[in-house]
Amino acid sequence: MKMFRELRFLTALWKANLLSAMEYRIPFLTQVLGMMLNNAVYFVFWVIFFDRFDNVGGWGLRDMFILFGIVATSFGLGIFLFGNATSLADHIATGRLDYYLSLPRPVLLHQLASRSVTSGLGDFFYGLVSFAFAGQYGPQSIARFLLGAIFGAMIFVSFLTLVQSLAFWIGNASMIASQATNAIITFALYPITLFDGSAKLILFTLIPAALVGSVPAEFVRAFTWTQLFQIVGAGLVICTLSIFVFYRGLRRYESGSAIQVQV
Amino acid sequence: MPSMGASSTIGLSGSRLKALDKYFSIFKIQLINAFAYPADLFSRVFSMLIFMWVFLQLWTVTYAAMGQTQIDGLTLRDTLWYLMIAEMVLLSKPRLARTIAENVKDGTVAYLLNRPYHFLLYQLSVGLGDSLLRMVVNAAAGGALIWLMLGPPPNWLGVPLVVIALLFAWCIDFCLNAMIGLLAFLTEDVSAFEWIYSKLVLILGGVLIPLDFFPDWLRDFALSLPFAYTTYAPARIFIDPAWSDFSGLLLRQVAWLVALSILLGLFFQLGVRRLNVNGG
Repeated sequence: MKMFRELRFLTALWKANLLSAMEYRIPFLTQVLGMMLNNAVYFVFWVIFFDRFDNVGGWGLRDMFILFGIVATSFGLGIFLFGNATSLADHIATGRLDYYLSLPRPVLLHQLASRSVTSGLGDFFYGLVSFAFAGQYGPQSIARFLLGAIFGAMIFVSFLTLVQSLAFWIGNASMIASQATNAIITFALYPITLFDGSAKLILFTLIPAALVGSVPAEFVRAFTWTQLFQIVGAGLVICTLSIFVFYRGLRRYESGSAIQVQV
Repeated sequence: MPSMGASSTIGLSGSRLKALDKYFSIFKIQLINAFAYPADLFSRVFSMLIFMWVFLQLWTVTYAAMGQTQIDGLTLRDTLWYLMIAEMVLLSKPRLARTIAENVKDGTVAYLLNRPYHFLLYQLSVGLGDSLLRMVVNAAAGGALIWLMLGPPPNWLGVPLVVIALLFAWCIDFCLNAMIGLLAFLTEDVSAFEWIYSKLVLILGGVLIPLDFFPDWLRDFALSLPFAYTTYAPARIFIDPAWSDFSGLLLRQVAWLVALSILLGLFFQLGVRRLNVNGG
């Protein structure tokens, strides 16, 4: 019952965010279409690369379409629905959690979903187009893609929450958080077969780029129980960990005592 | 009217050299300012190392898969040193378009236009001051990684030549970025133009893959655009500083710089006129 109530609350927040973003039509469209074009131009790199070289570590152009599709869709979904995940550290450092603490809603959920990053919609739609280019139209492939994207979004948002929550302990963590975000996206966009040994271990744990990129991409190509377990298990573990760390850190939170108006 | 700032000051001072003094001071202040933020420098070094590490893995696997020591005349070491220079240029740039756009949007531009310096030369001095230390630090970090993994740069003559090429490359990029920033006079938000420009530099500027690996028609196309002269030119000169290549690339850099400077001047005049219409 409580879960449904929070879900209704979330839906209302997302609706308000979308309407608010669409209020300014031209900037909204520029951001969405601009991001799609931005990603497409970036992908030209792989088109040129595979025109010159057959494959890299067993991955070809079609695999890269799936990889970009899954990463862009999950990242876009994550930052559109939980856009404040990118500014959590700033909110903590500047005492702007006061607003959320004073309301009868889960603090973390409310804070994360209170803002949508409009360009995330561009990433989301680009990801779907990229997946369409891969040509895997079977219902099972589509279902695996959706599952991978949803858990990918969960891992992205949880990872952002984790690193941004460092602000409870070290104060200004915006720069570390921004670098961690860049790192997970950068590594996620390359096949995991490029890396070995300790690098691979890092990409499955400390910076879980493989779990939002290569692993779900391989899962879309062909079903395996191992990959399903890795995606779902990692999603649930990192999500639980991020909630635990945030609320643990919240005990150390010091109010900014600032008068704020939430618009 | 606001564009009178620079020319009138230069005229009044009686010495162009003296007029340049203030821009040098702005550059110096900005450079000193950059030393005050070691965390920012550290975070950039971290990015540089991540990108170079990924490139190292990608191209090592690619060269191994091809079973060749050279691809289109470039060895693995050449390719990685090339990518190091290109990435260093990219990661050392200031977010100039965004800064100018913010100046236009929040009205700071009206304040800056009334100061005794030219708005664009002011931005150029600030940007150059911001970039210099980043370039040195990024080159040191990226260079150390590549040296450690693959050995020293292919040709030491490339070091002095790349400095000259980098100066022109930076100025070309400044012109393009400033024009994007000035688009804020027309549009609310320039971030989409900024994203697309950055991706064009990544691809057609040869940051992600050297233009030498492109199909002939695409390489010719890329070389006919200014993006290649912001990153490809200095990176290519660094690994192969043959004088004929250097003079040819430098000549094209100068030609683009002249053309883009004129265009930027026109953009600025048009933008300022529009600002006057809006009442500032």
